[in-house]
Amino acid sequence: MRALEPWVIDPLQTFLDESSARLTLLMTSSGQVVAQHGFSRSLDVMTAAALGAGIVASTDELARLMGATRFGALVHHGVRQSCMLSAFGTPRGRWIGLVVFGPETSVGIVQLFFDQMVEQLVTIAPREQAPAPVLAENFEGELNASLKALFGRQ
Amino acid sequence: MSLVNFTAREITCKIVYYGPGRSGKTTNLQYVYGRVPESRRGRMVSLATQTDRTLFFDFLPLELGEISGFTTKFQLYTVPGQNYYNATRKLVLQGADGVVFVADSQARRFDDNMESLQNLQDNLLAQGVDVRQLPVVFQYNKQDLPNDLILSRDEMDDALNFRAVLSFGADALHGTGVFETLRGISEIVLKRLATGSAVA
Repeated sequence: MRALEPWVIDPLQTFLDESSARLTLLMTSSGQVVAQHGFSRSLDVMTAAALGAGIVASTDELARLMGATRFGALVHHGVRQSCMLSAFGTPRGRWIGLVVFGPETSVGIVQLFFDQMVEQLVTIAPREQAPAPVLAENFEGELNASLKALFGRQ
Repeated sequence: MSLVNFTAREITCKIVYYGPGRSGKTTNLQYVYGRVPESRRGRMVSLATQTDRTLFFDFLPLELGEISGFTTKFQLYTVPGQNYYNATRKLVLQGADGVVFVADSQARRFDDNMESLQNLQDNLLAQGVDVRQLPVVFQYNKQDLPNDLILSRDEMDDALNFRAVLSFGADALHGTGVFETLRGISEIVLKRLATGSAVA
């Protein structure tokens, strides 16, 4: 498991233990990963987050067009595994959970423990803003070296 | 907004390629995807119609490497350029740290460029973002076409680049200007982040 901030770890671990979910991703509404369990490659995590955030954003817009409130959760049922997407408010902004689960559990169980995790996250989330980044004095030199290494040209 | 993870020492930035339909936004990402080492990029996702026009977005995650002890990642998105898809353009634009405006240099696409730039400003404003505060660079694509069909870089600057931000001529299909553009926006976004003005 990887988490952006340590306070996310306990509620997420409890959710994983209770729900038997296989993969779980917590992200911001713009698709930035906050915490993840079960994905092997960080660049694939970003892709899953981007797709999940896109689905939730477009569903929210559909709900708005229909004059409805936001949909609570979206579930895609598959033969071997299923997927649930659910957005929720936190003191740190609106987050989205993407949960992949198999036949060893059920959507009801996953939803139940997901809601409990959300309650915990909302309760324990620190209210203060994240500190401003302090990048080293040689930031610009390292940036230029990295850009050169990746893009190959000056 | 950029996500700065102090625990894992990671920075993730979102860059959106914007511009009129068929100006070359997807081509930019395809070129980058083809040239960046596999270890530094994820798979490129394209949500497109059957005729390969972008329907929702293209997405390409890149790992830049370590800067000031932070592993730095970029998420590159394109928006669908066609007028019809403004609702999805708005969604993709959410949380952008920087925008590459890919303009079509052909003289006959002048009005399309202007309309798309206006649309960018409108969509940012609707999200409470002042375009003057957001890192933006221009790319004038298709500069390889015959001179009598296109506007020069200076003419494109005069028409679109009111704030005199960075601009690049490009032939995205063959790669000219693609990395220069990406490098340009990356530098501006990360330098802005270093000043502490863009932390989520």
